[in-house]
Amino acid sequence: MTTIAVFVGKLVSLVSKLLGFGAGGTWPGEIALRLNPRILTDLASRLKKGVILVAGTNGKTTTALMIKQILENQGYRVVHNASGANLDNGIVSALIQNPRADWGVFETDENSLPIILKSVEPNIIVLLNLFRDQLDRYGEVDVIAEKWKKALRGSKARIIANADDPLVSHLGMTHNATFFGVDDKTKYQKAMEHATDSIFCLSCGGRLTYDGIYFSHLGLWRCPKCGMKRPKPDVSEGISPLPGLYNLYNTLATVCVAKMLGIKADLAGFHPAFGRQEEIGNVKIFLSKNPTGFNQSLRTVLDLGAKQLLLIVNDRIPDGRDVSWIWDVDFEMIPKDVEVRVSGDRVYDLALRLKYASITTSILERLEEALETKDTMYVLPTYSAMLEVRKILKGRKIL
Amino acid sequence: MNTSIRIAWLYPDLMSTYGDRGNIICLEKRCQWRGIEARVTQVTLETPARELAHCDLIFMGGAQDRQQKLVGEDFLKRKGPVVKEMVENGTPALFVCAAYQFIGHYYKPYQGEKIPGAGIFDLYTEHPGDQEKRFIGNVTAEIISTKKTIVGFENHGGRTYLGSKLQPFARVKRGFGNNGEDGYEGAVYKNAIGSYFHGPLLPKNPHIADWLIQKALEKKYKALQPLSILDDSLEWQAHNQML
Repeated sequence: MTTIAVFVGKLVSLVSKLLGFGAGGTWPGEIALRLNPRILTDLASRLKKGVILVAGTNGKTTTALMIKQILENQGYRVVHNASGANLDNGIVSALIQNPRADWGVFETDENSLPIILKSVEPNIIVLLNLFRDQLDRYGEVDVIAEKWKKALRGSKARIIANADDPLVSHLGMTHNATFFGVDDKTKYQKAMEHATDSIFCLSCGGRLTYDGIYFSHLGLWRCPKCGMKRPKPDVSEGISPLPGLYNLYNTLATVCVAKMLGIKADLAGFHPAFGRQEEIGNVKIFLSKNPTGFNQSLRTVLDLGAKQLLLIVNDRIPDGRDVSWIWDVDFEMIPKDVEVRVSGDRVYDLALRLKYASITTSILERLEEALETKDTMYVLPTYSAMLEVRKILKGRKIL
Repeated sequence: MNTSIRIAWLYPDLMSTYGDRGNIICLEKRCQWRGIEARVTQVTLETPARELAHCDLIFMGGAQDRQQKLVGEDFLKRKGPVVKEMVENGTPALFVCAAYQFIGHYYKPYQGEKIPGAGIFDLYTEHPGDQEKRFIGNVTAEIISTKKTIVGFENHGGRTYLGSKLQPFARVKRGFGNNGEDGYEGAVYKNAIGSYFHGPLLPKNPHIADWLIQKALEKKYKALQPLSILDDSLEWQAHNQML
């Protein structure tokens, strides 16, 4: 049955390519799953070395790509759900394209991790972080953490977890995880951002105190009430190939994987995934889809000396229908000498948010017009907006 | 004499999940733009309840379940009774989402015991079960007293039912509102408003923001001076886009 399902899946992918829809994203997998609901288990078990899953709110795509690179540097063949298709159908699609690989490195959507763990027994699971994101779609952070906790029970996978995220490291502690975390006092933030989700102890409910905060609720946390504290990271050193503190976390997670497998973590020449610090001409795209991601992108592009910003917020299904979160982004950090353009389905919501941050904007409803520039422009779009930007700049649809 | 108001922001670290901060930013700026000094007092678990007494306007927002539990006892025993007295005495207040449920008599989850509320509003909330539809989406409604529209986003599992002593705030035009049955959204009692329009309700509904500021000034200065007019063209553009 798996053979037929794979064949049909390949056929769908081929037809989709011929018709100019790209590799067909998740459709081949979706159809194959309908033909054979056990196909994910079957295909994953054929991988010679095994499976590595990457989960978390931010950084999944970049981290998975980094892990892929270090494995390929060792001569392994790696199958990977490259297009950000991170539900079970996306993983099956990837496996159909490339069923004879050594390793499968898959990013998984927060809600899909439990579903995928029912079909796949991974060797390693990397837990990056949990931030508020698309609450209308994913639900609240604590609800996701609870689902993960249940799903991880009984899994034999080795866990790699972010020590600096109280919620994620709490999950890690019960699984004897290998921890990564940042140890760099020069990167402490002066004050806590507003968009923090997990600053109360999971064991006793006490308010956590921080000896240093990196961003959002990531940092050197401890609970003065019950004594629980951030575990000492097994890995805290790594050279990130990309700017931004968030990419240092992605790098450290990758170094953890390398250490676990006993291989070198060589990230020289690393190319970011599409829309993540991707440069197309004089436009630089920094996907920004939730308050923490947006704050991190803003901080990074301002550090890079950005003088022209284009912020785009859409409210389609992949972005989340609810745009309330823009009020949790600290736009106030944008200096007065930076030109700010706004666009997207919810351009007026965004312009209004910026008005209340005392920032004057140019409202450009037409994205083509918003992208017209001779200078270096930093674009911070939500997911569907990022795809639109690439389509305009590249003149064709990639996904 | 400088005109000033003090805004109490209840549990900013625990009950601010859906961009609730937008309401505080909006109130602050709309005061500032008129030359009214607005100061925000953050009232959380460790803050003594007496801090509330100096405040002229109250805001409390939405929360996750765990955070709401952490707030529970503190609000019921310490802050809630003070807030109740202030609301009775005409202090303007805005309670959004989880806070709206919290100021009622009780919240009944689909499993387990009723969770008591602060009894500030004559209402109760029940969760019909985890298999029942959650009310999620853009909402528009018409305020009953002024016939003006309000726009926002709702995301709640609980159904809220108003008692006989309480007036509904608005009539739902699109979306679900209090319970998806009677066509009403929110509630209003004296100068306090409760609403399921979560997160940043005020920025796109500047008429409600100004009403709260006006009530705060009236109560504090005992004088009826209308607020100066601001250029709200962007506010209304964002508002009208959602109608």
